[in-house]
Amino acid sequence: MTGPSIFFEEVNERQGVFHRRAVLLGAFAGLGLTAMGGRLAYLQLFQTQRYERLSTSNQFNFKLMPAPRGVIVDRNGAVLAANRPNFRLLVVRDKGTDTEATLKTLASFVPLDEVRQRRLLKDINSAPRRAPVSVMEDMTWEQFSAVSVRAPELTGVTADMGEVRVYPYGGAFAHVIGYVAKVNKDDITAAGPNADSILLHPGFRIGKQGVEKAFDLELRGRPGARKVEVDANGREVSHHGEGDIPPQPGAEIQLTLDVDVQNRALEVFGEESGGAVVMDCRTGDILCMTSAPSFDANRFVRGLTVADYRGLATFERKPLLDKCLSGLYPPGSTFKTMTALAILDAGIDPDIRVNCSGGMNFGGRYFHCHKRGGHGSQNLRDAIKNSCDTYFYTMSLRVGPDRIAIAARAFGLGQIYDIGIPGQKKGVVPDRAWKKRYFAKNEAQQPWWPGENLSYAIGQGYLQVNCLQLAVMTARLANGQRALNPRLVRSVGGKELPKGSDAPPLPFATEHIQYVRDGMAAVTEAGGTAFRASQLGLGDILMAGKTGTAQVRNYDKGGSRGQGGTWRLRDHGLFVAFAPIDAPRYAIAVVVQHGMGGSTAAAPRAREIMRTTLLKDPEIRARIEKPLPMPEMAPDPELDTVPQSTTIERTAAIPGGPA
Amino acid sequence: MTVSALTRPGERDRLTVKLTEIDWLFVLVLCLIAGAGSLMLFSIAGSSWTPWAAAHASRFGICVVILIALAMVDLRVWFALAYPIYGLGVLLLIAVELVGDIRLGAQRWLSIGSFSFQPSEVIKIGIVLALARLYHGVSAERARLSWWLFIPALMIAVPVLLVAHQPDLGTALLIAMTGGAIVVLAGLSWKIIATAVAGVLAVIPPYVIFGMHDYQRQRVLTFLDPESDPSGSGYHILQSMIALGSGGLLGKGYGLGSQSQLNFLPEKQTDFIFAALAEEFGFVGCASLLILYAAAIFMALRTSYLSHSHFGRLAAAGVTATFTLYVMINGLMVMGLAPVVGVPMPMLSYGGTVMLTVMIGFGLVQSVRVHRYSEVTSGKGSFV
Repeated sequence: MTGPSIFFEEVNERQGVFHRRAVLLGAFAGLGLTAMGGRLAYLQLFQTQRYERLSTSNQFNFKLMPAPRGVIVDRNGAVLAANRPNFRLLVVRDKGTDTEATLKTLASFVPLDEVRQRRLLKDINSAPRRAPVSVMEDMTWEQFSAVSVRAPELTGVTADMGEVRVYPYGGAFAHVIGYVAKVNKDDITAAGPNADSILLHPGFRIGKQGVEKAFDLELRGRPGARKVEVDANGREVSHHGEGDIPPQPGAEIQLTLDVDVQNRALEVFGEESGGAVVMDCRTGDILCMTSAPSFDANRFVRGLTVADYRGLATFERKPLLDKCLSGLYPPGSTFKTMTALAILDAGIDPDIRVNCSGGMNFGGRYFHCHKRGGHGSQNLRDAIKNSCDTYFYTMSLRVGPDRIAIAARAFGLGQIYDIGIPGQKKGVVPDRAWKKRYFAKNEAQQPWWPGENLSYAIGQGYLQVNCLQLAVMTARLANGQRALNPRLVRSVGGKELPKGSDAPPLPFATEHIQYVRDGMAAVTEAGGTAFRASQLGLGDILMAGKTGTAQVRNYDKGGSRGQGGTWRLRDHGLFVAFAPIDAPRYAIAVVVQHGMGGSTAAAPRAREIMRTTLLKDPEIRARIEKPLPMPEMAPDPELDTVPQSTTIERTAAIPGGPA
Repeated sequence: MTVSALTRPGERDRLTVKLTEIDWLFVLVLCLIAGAGSLMLFSIAGSSWTPWAAAHASRFGICVVILIALAMVDLRVWFALAYPIYGLGVLLLIAVELVGDIRLGAQRWLSIGSFSFQPSEVIKIGIVLALARLYHGVSAERARLSWWLFIPALMIAVPVLLVAHQPDLGTALLIAMTGGAIVVLAGLSWKIIATAVAGVLAVIPPYVIFGMHDYQRQRVLTFLDPESDPSGSGYHILQSMIALGSGGLLGKGYGLGSQSQLNFLPEKQTDFIFAALAEEFGFVGCASLLILYAAAIFMALRTSYLSHSHFGRLAAAGVTATFTLYVMINGLMVMGLAPVVGVPMPMLSYGGTVMLTVMIGFGLVQSVRVHRYSEVTSGKGSFV
C-alpha cells in the first residue's frame, strides 16, 4: 500500500474543523475567565462588608481579663481580704504540642516533681483545647523571668501575672470570710447553663465559704476584655490596647467586725475549741465572731494537699467547723435568764423563796443542783447569782415549757439570722407543740412530761442553740427595748445594709428585763458564780453575765460528772455577758467546747474579749481616761523636798552613773 | 531581516532566526505572572525571601531557559518522541503504583536517588503529544465518528485510571479533560460529544456515593454546602472566600492580609495563593492577574492557529487546554465554585513540579510557533 491515505482536501477539512473547534476552546476559556471575574466582583465589590466582618472576627479575639476581686475590710477599714500579684505559668494544649515533653522541660526551671507532672498532664489533656491550664502559681521573680525568656521556644507555654487572694490575718477570719479556691465542675453546674465564662478562666477563684461565697458575685466585679490579634491557632500575635474593655473591679465589702477584737478572741482561745460572738447592743453589729481552732485560709487559695486537708478534717477539735453558727450546744445555765423572764412573765413573785438542799426529787428521780450542799433559801435574784438549779427546777413546774419557749424565741434563740453568710444551724427551742411534731411517728413520746420542765429550765434537754443566738439573746437583754437583729455586713460597694436596730420592740415588760439584768450583775459581784473571772479592771465599767456549764451526756452514777476524762465527753463551758452594766453597750457569748466550766473556761475569755472591745470604744475610753476630780489646791508642806530626794536616789541607782 | 530572506531554504533553521520567532510578549506575560507569584510568596512568608519567594523566582528563571531551549527543538523531534514520552509516562505510572512513595496518604511520588518527582506530570505532556501524533495521521472522517475512536479513548483511559488509583482525582480529571479537549478539537462528532457528556453527568452521582474515598466525598459534599461544616472541610473554602471578599476593591495592602499572614488561609503558598493575592490587592489585583492569564491563553491558542501541521496545531491547543483547565479549576475552587481539589494556580503557586510541566508545555507551544512552517512527516506520508 503506497500513496497517501489522507488527501489534500481532507487536510483542509481537518484544519477547518480544528479552527472552528479552537474558537470554541477560546470561547470556553473566555467564558470561564469572565465567570471568575463576575464571581470576584460579587465577592469583592458587593459582599465586602460581610467578609470584612468575618475577617475581623477571625483576626481579633476578645480575651477575658478578670476584674480585681473586691476587698473585704473591717468596720474601721482594716483590710481582711485583698489581692496580691501572682506570677503564673500556663500551658495550653494544641495541635502538634507535646505536653509531656513541655512539662519535662519546664521541670528544669520550676519545681515540678513526677507526681505533679502526671497530675498536670491529666488536667491539661482533659481541659478544652487552647484553654490554658495553670501549671504553677506564685513563681518567684527569677523563675518567672527564666520561663518568660524561653517561652517563645516552648510552644503552648506562657507566663503571666495574675492576682491571688490574700488574707492578712490568716486564721482569725477564716470562718466568717471563708476563702476562694479553684472553680470545680460543681461550681459550673451550679451556675446553670449561662454560667459566666470567667469561671473557665485559668486561675480564676470562686468564693467557697462565708462572705466570699455569699457575696461572690458582688466581689467578682465584671471582667473586662483585651482585644488581641490572634493567628489561626489562637495564639496571640499582638495587642494594641485599643478596643479593650476595662474590667469593673468587684465591690468592696465592709464588715461590722473589728480586727483587734477578732484577733484577741482567737488568741484567748489558745488550744481550746469553741466560739465567741460580740455584738453591739445598740446597733446589732457583730464586732467579733471567732471560731477556734481555726485554719489558714491562704492555704485553701493555693489548693490544699490531700494530707493537709485530711489533717484539718479529721482533727477532733474540728477547725473547719464554724462553732459560732454551725455548732449547736445546750445553753446550760445561761438559759436561766430566759427561764427567769418566763417566771416573771407568768406573774410569779420573784421574792418567793425556794429552799435548795442540793437538789430535788421529782417523778422518782433525784435532780441534782450543781452545788451538792445546796444553796439554802433562794429568791429569783439569788438563784440567778448562784445559778441555783433547785430554784429553777421548782419554778419550771409552775411555768411550763410553752412560756419558757416564748421567752427564748422572743430573745432570738432557735432562729436563723440574715447576716449574709450561710451555714447557720437553727437549733431547737422545744415546747409542747414542737414535741408533738418531732415525735410525729411515735405517739407514746408525744406528750410533754413534767420532768422535762426541770432540765429545760436549766438549759438542758432538747434545747440546742448556737453561739450567735446566745449573743443575740444577751444583746436583746442588754438593750432591753428592741428585738435587735445581728448584722455582719455593714456595706456592699458603699451601700449600707439595714441596721439591726430597725427591729420590733421586745414583748416583755421592761422591769422584768431589768430584774434579770440585775441578776446578771449579781453574778459578777462578790459571791456570784463569775465574780473573779469577770473583773474587767476598767474602774467603774463593770460587766454583768451568766455562766453556764452544759452537760454533754447523762452522767453515770459516781462518774466524773463531765469535769474530766475524755475530752469530747467533758462539759461545755458557756458565758454570756454585757458591759458596761450602767449603760449596756456590748454583749458577748462565749462557748468553750468541753471546757468544763462556764466560770473557769468561758468567763475569763469573755472578760478578755470584752476588755478589748470596750477599750476600742472611744466613749468608754473617754470614761476610763477621764481624770479623777482633783482636790482644791492647798499648799503642801513637803512639796519642796520630796521630788529632790527622789531624783538623787534614782541617779544613784544607775550603775556607772555620775555618783 | 526581510520576509524574503525568511523564505530562503534553511534560513528558518538558523538559531538566531529561531530565537526571534519566539513569542517574547508571551514570555513576558509568563514572567509577570510568576513575578506576581514571587511577590505574594514574599508577602505571606512575613516579608521574607525564604522559604518560598526566592525559590519560586529562581525556579522560574531555570524554567524560562528550559522553555527557550525546548522552543529550539525541531517539531519533528517532538513528533518522533511523542509516543516514547507517552509510553514512558505510562510505565512510570505503573512503577509508582508498584514502588512509589506514599505522601499525604496518596501514592504519587517516585524517587530516583535523592530526586523525587510525580510521574503524573510526565503523562500530562505525554498525553498531549501522543494524541496530537495520533490525530496527525488520521483523516477527518475517522476523527469525526468511527469504531476507531477506542484507540484514543484507551490512550486517555489508561493514564487517567492509573492516576485516579493513586489516588489523585484532580490530576486524573485534568488529564481526562485535556485528552477530551484534543479529541474534540480534532473533530469529534457532536453526537458523540453530547452522548459522552450525558454519560459523564449520569455517572458522577453514583461515583461520588460509591467510588470515592471519604475525604474526596467530603470535599464534594462540602462544596455543595460549605456552611454544613465551617470548621472542618468547609473551613478551607470559607476562609478562602473570607480572604477574597475582605480584600474589597483595592485590597488590604501588600503584606497586610490578615487571613494569609495569620494562617487562617490553608495551603496559602500553593493552592490558595490566589486568595492571598486577592486579599492584599483586591479586585483590581485579581482582575489584572486574570487579564494576564487570559492573555497567555489566547496567545498560546493563537500559536495553534498559525501552525501548518496538524500535529503542531493539536499539540499547542492541547497544552493551552491543560493550562486553561488549571487556571479554571484553581480559580473556581478558590472562589467557592468548585470542590477543593489539589490543583495549583500555574506559575503563581509555589511548587516546582507543576511549574516545570507547564513551562515544558509552553516550550512545546513555542516550538510549534518557531517551526510553524515545518513539514511534519507521519509514518504514512508527508503533509504540510
